[in-house]
Amino acid sequence: MTESGAQLFARLEARRCLKDIEPQMFPEDGGPNHGEVVELYGTEGTGKTELLYHLLCRCVLPVASGGLEVDVVFVDTDYSLDMLRLVSILDSRLNAACSTGLSCSGSDEAALRSCLSRLLVVHCSSSSQLVLTLHFLETSLSSRPGLALLLIDSISAFYWLDRCEGGASIGKQEEKLSKCAELLGRLLRDYRITVFATCHTIRRSYTGPSSDDNRPYLCRPWQRLVTHRLLCSRQEAANNMASTAGDSEEQRRRRVFTVHCTSSSSRTKAYRSSSFYVSDGGVKFI
Amino acid sequence: MQRSVFSLSLSPSVKRKLVNAGFQFTNDLLHLKPVQLSKEATLSQLEALEVLQAVRKEGGGGDAGASSSLTALDLLQKEQDLRRIVTFSSQLDAALGGGLPVGKTTEICGAPGVGKTQLCLQLAVDVQVPQCFGGIGGQVVYIDTEGSFLLQRVVDIATAAVQHCSLLVEDDEQRVAMTTFTVETILSNTFLVRCHDYVELLAELHLLPDFLSDHPRVRLLVIDSVAFPFRQHFEDLSQRTRLLNGLAQQLIAMATSHNMAVLMTNQMTTRLRGGQSQQVPALGETWGHAPTSRLLLHWAGSRRLAAIFKSPDHTGATVQYQITSEGFRDIDQSEQTHTVQSTASQRDTGH
Amino acid sequence: MVVLREGMCPGLDEALVRDLRAAGITTVEDVVSSDIEELAQRCTVSYKALFAIRRVLLAQHAAFPVSGADLYEELLSSTAILSTGNPSLDKLLDPGLYTGEITELSGGPGSGKSQVCFGVAVHISYQLKQSVIFIDTTGGLTASRLLQMLQAETSNTEEQMAALQRIHIFRLFNVFSLLDCLYGLRGGRLQQACVGGGSVKAVIVDSVSAVIAPLLGGKQNEGMSLMIQVAGVLKTMAKDFNVAALVTNHVTRSVGGEVQPGLGASWSHIPRTRILLERQERAADISHSSVRSATLIKSSRRPCHIREQFDLQWWSRSKEESSGKRKRDETGS
Repeated sequence: MTESGAQLFARLEARRCLKDIEPQMFPEDGGPNHGEVVELYGTEGTGKTELLYHLLCRCVLPVASGGLEVDVVFVDTDYSLDMLRLVSILDSRLNAACSTGLSCSGSDEAALRSCLSRLLVVHCSSSSQLVLTLHFLETSLSSRPGLALLLIDSISAFYWLDRCEGGASIGKQEEKLSKCAELLGRLLRDYRITVFATCHTIRRSYTGPSSDDNRPYLCRPWQRLVTHRLLCSRQEAANNMASTAGDSEEQRRRRVFTVHCTSSSSRTKAYRSSSFYVSDGGVKFI
Repeated sequence: MQRSVFSLSLSPSVKRKLVNAGFQFTNDLLHLKPVQLSKEATLSQLEALEVLQAVRKEGGGGDAGASSSLTALDLLQKEQDLRRIVTFSSQLDAALGGGLPVGKTTEICGAPGVGKTQLCLQLAVDVQVPQCFGGIGGQVVYIDTEGSFLLQRVVDIATAAVQHCSLLVEDDEQRVAMTTFTVETILSNTFLVRCHDYVELLAELHLLPDFLSDHPRVRLLVIDSVAFPFRQHFEDLSQRTRLLNGLAQQLIAMATSHNMAVLMTNQMTTRLRGGQSQQVPALGETWGHAPTSRLLLHWAGSRRLAAIFKSPDHTGATVQYQITSEGFRDIDQSEQTHTVQSTASQRDTGH
Repeated sequence: MVVLREGMCPGLDEALVRDLRAAGITTVEDVVSSDIEELAQRCTVSYKALFAIRRVLLAQHAAFPVSGADLYEELLSSTAILSTGNPSLDKLLDPGLYTGEITELSGGPGSGKSQVCFGVAVHISYQLKQSVIFIDTTGGLTASRLLQMLQAETSNTEEQMAALQRIHIFRLFNVFSLLDCLYGLRGGRLQQACVGGGSVKAVIVDSVSAVIAPLLGGKQNEGMSLMIQVAGVLKTMAKDFNVAALVTNHVTRSVGGEVQPGLGASWSHIPRTRILLERQERAADISHSSVRSATLIKSSRRPCHIREQFDLQWWSRSKEESSGKRKRDETGS
């Protein structure tokens, strides 16, 4: 395929690096670089979605409000994007920036809209559609140099469908996701974007205890792409406060989530654990 | 979103052949002829035909599937046309909203000897009471898994029921009906099946829809008990749960499509919770979802009580009953007042 | 993978499909990822024609990205929040069922799941004058109970009948019939149900676990796949047609004896909001109390584990005594 000079430039130079996307979570100098893949892994109720929205907001917010001001493609395979929640987080970040006097440009509504216009959302309902959609997105990648992040929520969405369709052969079962991974690998190299993907835990056996629940289970080509793994978990509160009604900030603060980051990007492995709680305005690290 | 062929009710091997031939979605199949499909997907002609029928059942806008939809008003009319099976205990009838509901599943739980089988036998006879006496004139399939079906008891209960009706005869219609409502006809309209283990029970239920099509007058299916075959020989409890869940769906499907009441009995088991032991119905918590209504028979001192534990009408009630030589009955009038009081006091503690 | 067929798009004729097959290109994916220039030479077709085919195929089969700003705009104008009719539940749901989302009620036998579903159906059809699809998979639905609830709302028989006509019932007892039904609704029957009433605002499945649980465990691939398909069609239907999906689920006990919703880890991601219903455990062995507790166990709007008490009789209370009931609710919580 032919490529104009502008396209080449967009492809190679202008993409912003997301190394500093969340210094409180990634190991020092171990944030995701160009062409790297971060996997968020955890069961339901471990703050994965909130964390994802936190990172997404950081990307689309303007620099003046403490954001990175880059474009993001959100591939929604679970049909789970909660736009109302995302907007309320963005709102509170914009307001916070406003009150600290960092920026107060224009109306709230306009600021919000400009954030949201940096976000492209695409829904996929099967893994073969995902492959073709990734091909299709190549045009967007080459024409929008501001596009730095591809989010996939979740990469495991079609796991059971593929398993069932593939029959007895593991190769067939994993064929489609492998193709996705290979294609993603090429897009990462060619366009130097960063990929964040969530992966749901599954329970493989109904009998044994869940000791190996955190082991990666998706196909090898995908595993090879992943450079950072964020393992989300919930800290069990000692006392169950279920009986007390009310929704004070205080109470939310007590529900603490932990994220373990394993990064293997720069040859040496680095680890970091951090904790956060979820407020109305999104993730707050402790 | 396109529909995957894997959502069709076909055998997994057929579905896999379809996908291997490139037919991933039902849309890809809509305009094909059976011959074409059988060639392209290496299916037999019969299989290809089955596939296309399954696809067209949904067929975006077709109305084959729409027939199963009805408005709540239609359903209300249907419900009002269906009569209930009276129990010969007026209090229990009242608590059940007029008797055992047809088209639903009901479970009787209770300790051994409290009268579960007695109530089953009573209803097996009651379902046959002719329409002119307020019955529904049906037949009964009785699946006995415990060997507790006693012919002599059925004869006793049937004799009492026949006698009861003969005393009510007022007009010619009822006189004619009495000629075919005898102990002999009652026995010949009772289809007894003995199942020794869960495999036999599942096999029997698998064949039952065909039997019901041949015998459209069957209005009651009794399984006494569903617990016994499933409480032995099970090492894998999750497999048991799965089988029971499937069985529950089979039963309610039959009850709905054949306008038949399903009555099952269940045993009680002891569960420890918070250091206290408690008597709860057996077969696990998930099974509790299976019956539409749940009736709990229990002792309170020397009195026998029947409590509605779960019902779609959401009317909890407790009534007292007795087992006489004639069958399942209300308690005598003299004791009646006492019962009313005790149920009233129970209600109070409940709130 | 989508297999290439003649007539899929302009220019893709029988001869070209044959040539492409000979070159080892059988699926849309193959075309899209191949080197068009080289392929054109091998199949003796012009580069331009093949490039056009590639573009059309991609547009046909790939999903199209939408700007977040547009999506938000659309959401603001289309999202509705439906009251359940019960103040305690509405409080948990902040402040009702959202269209476009799946809300789950889980609970043990007799915990009131079906009663809540009936109440919601009646409230939407009578108070909001909108249509409801009610999919009954357990045989637990009786129209006489719905009528009973309506009678508590109004004594006008005509209004009662009109409300009953806005509730469309499907009675299905296995997963394949459920899928047939849901895909049928998605395929256009949902709008057909609007005829003669308001638009469909809610799809209720009571219960989703009854048809899925028998398939899980053991050799579980097919069961899991079917479960994910049910989830997928429900989610897309909720989003694309702007209806609230309300499903019920049974509960299981963890090793520690803690009650949790059934259907396992893979299902837990599906509902946006989950509520656990429980009977109030009393000393008395059999209590006929209609008071239940509802605990929020998953939500993106309110902190989890808030608990409310409510009375199942709420939907069938007569209006005159409603003030008294409310007072009792307050003292109870």
